Amino acid sequence: MNYGFVIDNRKCIGCHACSTACKSENEVPLGVYRTWVKYVETGAYPDARRHFQVTRCNHCANPPCARICPVTAMYQREDGIVDFDPSICIGCKACMQACPYDAIYIDPETDTAAKCHYCAHRTEIGLEPACAVVCPEHAIIAGDMDDPTTEIAHLLAVQDVTVRKPEQGTSPKVFYIDGNDVSLHPTAVERTPDTFLWADVIPLHDGNSPTPSNGHPTSAEAQGTKQSKSGATLRPTQPQGNAWAGPIQFGSTVAEHMVQVSYNAQHKIPWHWPVPSYLVTKGIGSGIFMLLSLGLGLEWFAFDSLTVTLAGFISLLFIGMTTALLVLDLEKPERFFSILIRPQWRSWLARGAFILVGFTIVAGLWWLVEAGAYFDILAADAAANLRPIALWLGLPLAIGVAVYTAYLFAQAEGRDLWQSPLLPIHLVIQAVMAGSGVLLIMDTFLPDAPDELATVAWTAFVVALLLDLFVLLIGEFSIPHASEVAAKAAHEISHGHYKNHFWWGSIGLGHLVPLLLAIVSALVFSEPFIGAIAGLCAVIGLYLYEYAFVMAPQEIPNS
Amino acid sequence: MTTKNNVLNLLSTMLAMDAPATRDVTDENNGLDRAPVAREENNKPVLGLPSFSDTEMIPVRQEDGRLTNYPPPDKWDDWVEYDGKAWPKKVARRYTLVPTVCFNCESACGLLAYVDKETYEVKKFEGNPAHPGSRGRNCAKGPATHNQTYDPERILYPLKRVGKRGDGRWKRITWHQALDEIAQKMRHSRKQRRDGIMYHVGRPGEDGYTNRCITAWGVDGHNSHTNICSAGARAGYSFWGGFDRPSPDHTNARVIMLISSHLETGHYFNPHAQRIIEGKMKGAKIITFDPRLSNTASMSDVWLPCWPGSESTILLAIANYLIQNDHYDKEFVRRWVNWQDTLQAVRQGKLTVDDPDLQAALEGSSALKFEHFEQLLKVLYAEFTFERAADEAQVPVERIRETAEYVAHCDGKLATHTWRSASIGNLGGWQVARCLFFLNILTGSVGTPGGTSANSWNKFVPKPFKTPPPGETWNELNLPHEWPLAHYEMSFLLPHFLEEGRGEIDVYFSRVYNPMWINPDGFVWLKALLDEEKIKTHVALTPTWNESAWFADYILPMGHAGERHDLMSQETHAGQWIAFRQPVRRVALERAGKQVRFSHEANPGEVWEENEFWIQLSAHMDPDGSLGIRQWFESPYRPGEIITIDEYYQWIFENSVPGLPEKAAAEKLTPLAYMRKYGAFEVTRDNYVPYEKPVAGIVEEEAKKLESFTFQLAEVARGIAREVLEIEPKGLAIDSSNRILKAGQPIGVMIDGEPLVGVNTPSRKFEFFSQTLYEWGWPEKEHTVPWPLKSHVHPDHIDRGKGEMLLLPNFRLPTLIHTRSANAKWLYEISHKNPVWMHPSDATRLNVGTGDLIKVETEIGYFVDKVWVTEGIKPGVIAMSHHLGRWRLQENTGVNPGMSNLAQLELDEQGNYKLNIIHGASAWDSFDPDTSRIWWKDVGVHQNLTHAVHPDPVSGAHCWLQKAVNVTKAGPEDKHGDVQVDINRSMAVYQEWVDLTRSAMDTSPDGNRRPLWMKRPLKPVVEAYKLPEQPFGR
Repeated sequence: MNYGFVIDNRKCIGCHACSTACKSENEVPLGVYRTWVKYVETGAYPDARRHFQVTRCNHCANPPCARICPVTAMYQREDGIVDFDPSICIGCKACMQACPYDAIYIDPETDTAAKCHYCAHRTEIGLEPACAVVCPEHAIIAGDMDDPTTEIAHLLAVQDVTVRKPEQGTSPKVFYIDGNDVSLHPTAVERTPDTFLWADVIPLHDGNSPTPSNGHPTSAEAQGTKQSKSGATLRPTQPQGNAWAGPIQFGSTVAEHMVQVSYNAQHKIPWHWPVPSYLVTKGIGSGIFMLLSLGLGLEWFAFDSLTVTLAGFISLLFIGMTTALLVLDLEKPERFFSILIRPQWRSWLARGAFILVGFTIVAGLWWLVEAGAYFDILAADAAANLRPIALWLGLPLAIGVAVYTAYLFAQAEGRDLWQSPLLPIHLVIQAVMAGSGVLLIMDTFLPDAPDELATVAWTAFVVALLLDLFVLLIGEFSIPHASEVAAKAAHEISHGHYKNHFWWGSIGLGHLVPLLLAIVSALVFSEPFIGAIAGLCAVIGLYLYEYAFVMAPQEIPNS
Repeated sequence: MTTKNNVLNLLSTMLAMDAPATRDVTDENNGLDRAPVAREENNKPVLGLPSFSDTEMIPVRQEDGRLTNYPPPDKWDDWVEYDGKAWPKKVARRYTLVPTVCFNCESACGLLAYVDKETYEVKKFEGNPAHPGSRGRNCAKGPATHNQTYDPERILYPLKRVGKRGDGRWKRITWHQALDEIAQKMRHSRKQRRDGIMYHVGRPGEDGYTNRCITAWGVDGHNSHTNICSAGARAGYSFWGGFDRPSPDHTNARVIMLISSHLETGHYFNPHAQRIIEGKMKGAKIITFDPRLSNTASMSDVWLPCWPGSESTILLAIANYLIQNDHYDKEFVRRWVNWQDTLQAVRQGKLTVDDPDLQAALEGSSALKFEHFEQLLKVLYAEFTFERAADEAQVPVERIRETAEYVAHCDGKLATHTWRSASIGNLGGWQVARCLFFLNILTGSVGTPGGTSANSWNKFVPKPFKTPPPGETWNELNLPHEWPLAHYEMSFLLPHFLEEGRGEIDVYFSRVYNPMWINPDGFVWLKALLDEEKIKTHVALTPTWNESAWFADYILPMGHAGERHDLMSQETHAGQWIAFRQPVRRVALERAGKQVRFSHEANPGEVWEENEFWIQLSAHMDPDGSLGIRQWFESPYRPGEIITIDEYYQWIFENSVPGLPEKAAAEKLTPLAYMRKYGAFEVTRDNYVPYEKPVAGIVEEEAKKLESFTFQLAEVARGIAREVLEIEPKGLAIDSSNRILKAGQPIGVMIDGEPLVGVNTPSRKFEFFSQTLYEWGWPEKEHTVPWPLKSHVHPDHIDRGKGEMLLLPNFRLPTLIHTRSANAKWLYEISHKNPVWMHPSDATRLNVGTGDLIKVETEIGYFVDKVWVTEGIKPGVIAMSHHLGRWRLQENTGVNPGMSNLAQLELDEQGNYKLNIIHGASAWDSFDPDTSRIWWKDVGVHQNLTHAVHPDPVSGAHCWLQKAVNVTKAGPEDKHGDVQVDINRSMAVYQEWVDLTRSAMDTSPDGNRRPLWMKRPLKPVVEAYKLPEQPFGR
């Protein structure tokens, strides 16, 4: 058995009956949608058309939402329905990031993820989904695609069908007859208009226009002025993946040819400041530990009980903050332990939680012994004996703490920018950068710390900054992105809404200022507070970068 | 509150005859300044989930494993389903399924209410698979009936005004008090005069029930909304065939021609949309006339974005193409069009043709030949070329040619429909319907499979047990002498008539009607509603708050779709059906063995239904029978006793619906039980060409006599009009026009020697030349035959160079209906604002973009709204949906805060009326957590206030299209939603249009107010038709 939908656009009249029938059947609250009818207007008077597209969960054969869910709250049934269980969901919103189709929302009543579940409670007793029953035009066809006697199997056999974003490899099972490319493709329009045909548009950012332009020139501005030798007027070439509007414009301009979204469901951004914060705190916590582990293990600096105990404490403190931020960002924080009790092992959120816990146990035990020794509660020998084992054991865990998020982000298939192969190494570099930066700050307050510590910290810091700059500018942002969505998000960061975060915040404050301070410290005068300022700048810059990196891809529409 | 308390509370309210006097009663002596809070715990859906531990589910998967759409009817009494919200926890809920009829538009689609057997909560409304019109499917408004039922803003108890009218202070009263007081006023009025009571209906939602009551009261008191809706089209159809609405057979059509947006809003939206798309999937071509890219236009093969008012010219260009190429169904035209009468008219100089040969031929020959008529058509319409049409309509000529080709090859399967749109938009819009149906006539697509029928052929209205005799009065406020051909009452001019001093009203019922909001010139309505001398008592029968009810004296809460009885039928396709609306909780309670006397005992709060209310009110009006009213409300089963609602419908189902008793008996049910179970019954199907039926009761021998007479008549010159030749025996007669008369009344027509029933026109044929229009003051060619009339928004009247534009203000959205859908949160979430559609070229000229504010000045005032720039609108035309822009005057009472603006009114003595918006939609707290999640702000602009009235001098229809005398970018002082009107201008424009009329006082050929044959709701006796000596203005 393999349930799917066929949406027959030859018949759909855009009446929204499916939308309200679904709200009724499943008691879906206001503000969120399991199914909706997207309207797109194309053409130029008198050759214009409005296209309707019933839009909903695709019940993917290979559902990324189920793969990323840390607790099996989102799951694929034997009959092909992708269902969810609100009584288990912890509200981490990872599934929303994993879905390339904007199909999942957080239910304001239960604070858990929800979406179209194919009316599984109805199919269970042999009834069609409510949307299919209500449809005046019989334009929604539901049924078992494996059974050749069904209408859906027949239609799939004889009609040309298309799906949304097949390139995501999810094998969507909502098939469109006469699917319209502009409707299917969320980024076909440059941006959402300020209002819909008969509904308000909620701004993505308070106080701004709904979705700010991402820095592209409009086609009018992009009119070429250069001339070739033959006399042809040339358009300048465009950035990869970021077509200028070209013929595709929205209605408020003088449109020779219009493509505008006139109705769509509105989606809120799932992850906000706690996630970039978590990336920073995690970097600091793991980075410090890595430096301690390597520095002591390879004897880059001498052991000092106070320094090491304090550094260990800061590392654990930031890891603790990391965990706290993770929990804080859950819609159901009280269910945090579900991750540990009933993990879904394919999920990097679950794996990451165990890495975090593993690290916290190893580092925590070590630190207790170290602190015990410092406070003369335990024998210094015991600490000294334990130290190499714990630090070498903790090092891979610390790296894991820094790196696992790259794998989690890679599972977020709705945000192509996050699926960067550079991300694991980038996260390690960022951890070293942030960890060494914080060590520099700490050093300011520890006049008795070993001298080599500052040297090691400065060295690691500068190397990490340079590497990070390299990875950022030469890697992530100058190498073209494989997908248009990733390119758009990257462009949003470098040229659009987040360009200040990126250029002034990350590159300027986060890298150039600390590097300048490093030069000042090395060549002009060397005071610990300069390191502290440099470290602080790097940490703030990192946050601003992470903020842009987390937010921008979420702004690119998936529906 | 706990679930248990909820349930108890609910049940106690449901079962109490009189409401507990404890809650929310605004005592007469204190708390007068507090509006009653009609938000009641007992209208909460029960949130708790009952569980059934050992529930056995009833699998309904089809035998071959496929899914099915509905539980089979034999399981409806006791159906178990998993709760969708609790899933994947398997919480089973046990329902009884009660069919009813949607009330969100006029289509009368079936609904199936899922009533929880434990809590009597209505869990949801799905479609009714047993309904022949809607066939188990619905539009967005069907499921949203649930929102209206559990609307936290509902009016749950009868309210009476406190303080001055419009102060917004109310007290709760009992139904007894409401009945006593209102019936007293009616009795008093009825004793004084026969035109003091007026029932003004917006959405009837039923067939004939209330009309019977009004007739029983002996007053001429019916007033409707027809003249702001369908009067234009109705008049056009009426002149052709005596019916007043089309019933296209879309399913079998080859060409579907739509003037208006029938795929999102049509008449009848869901049933027709189903069948239009069925036709399309079978290969039919869809052609849509609309200056705006409607969803329908978008689904069409040909979109004709013509300039409003040019539709007739395009239609006649297509007609001309068929005529000049001899590509029309001559056999049909010869048999069924009044071509002899037409040629006679030419001969008599009533219809002038510029063709000396034809004139000479007609004068020379005594016999009228069909070839002459063919020639006449060719001469008459030769001027209507594709080029002329394309030029006038400003559309590509290829599209008109393409359309004409499709029509030419439709093979008698042309389904056409015009509703509202052009026919209600333009001065002379009635000719649009006439020109459209001309194409049906020419292609022979009349009543054929795939063609277009008359509404009356496909609608079935069963007779009740006893019908009161027609009234003896004519109410001048409804049908004054200036509009003798109006279809129907001049409803939207009521306040203008009152303002002029044409009369006053003792008791005014507004029923599912929000006249101040929905009509043009709402501020003139406001003035009338505020005037307690002109409208002495205003009773608003309404399920929800509305702007006009705010100015009522009594607000009587009436039920939504699942809370009332009504019987309905609509001409949705080539078949007839009836559908039974039911109070679903009452039916569920009765199924559970509980006694319910009146529906308000089972409905939320004390919400009642009109059916029972009218019975009780009429009985209260005439308790001793002395007025002769009571007799019509006495049971046919229990002499002398007041009828119950069960008895009323029992009688109809047992006696008036052919086939129903047999069908019910086959299921071992009484006819009433059958209807309660299925909610619908198919009376006939595949109804085609009923006009071709032989006249009933004529035996073969008499038919032969008639035939010989016809033969003789054909030999005789036909100069004498209305000559009647008697034939023996039985009082049958035949006149010189070949009409068969019985007792002086035409009952059929001889066609090729056969006595056939024909259609309901004076000639019993389809009337190309209208003798009626000729005789009643409109003798010019552009009136007597299908012809274009120059619209008031013709390009000649709109100087675009001066910034003038055409405002198209009356299109519907697929999700809303007028003001009735305002309290449906799911519908408002999808559609809550009505920005002004504007073409990019106009936007550039005005230097505005999407979202910018513009000021639109009309003939009488202006409004301020946002712009939606789109290529889907004709340059020079701006368009605005008419649903939105609801407002209320108090923060917490009036229209639902999520669906309306908080507004303030400012009226000065000079006639400057202003409406300003204080704020838009807002989230608010109620028992429904969704009200706190209202996320939208813009709920639209109430544009109708700024529309001048435009009564068409023939059809009486309000011509909705407005001339926007100036459209500009809004200034800094203009705020979204601002409306300002000078009502002196309102009255002046009104007078300009009155001056276009040709009064029956001057034109009536027989001293009557109106042609006797034409339709009128509640026709009075013939004597009442006599024109008065000195009507108003004479």
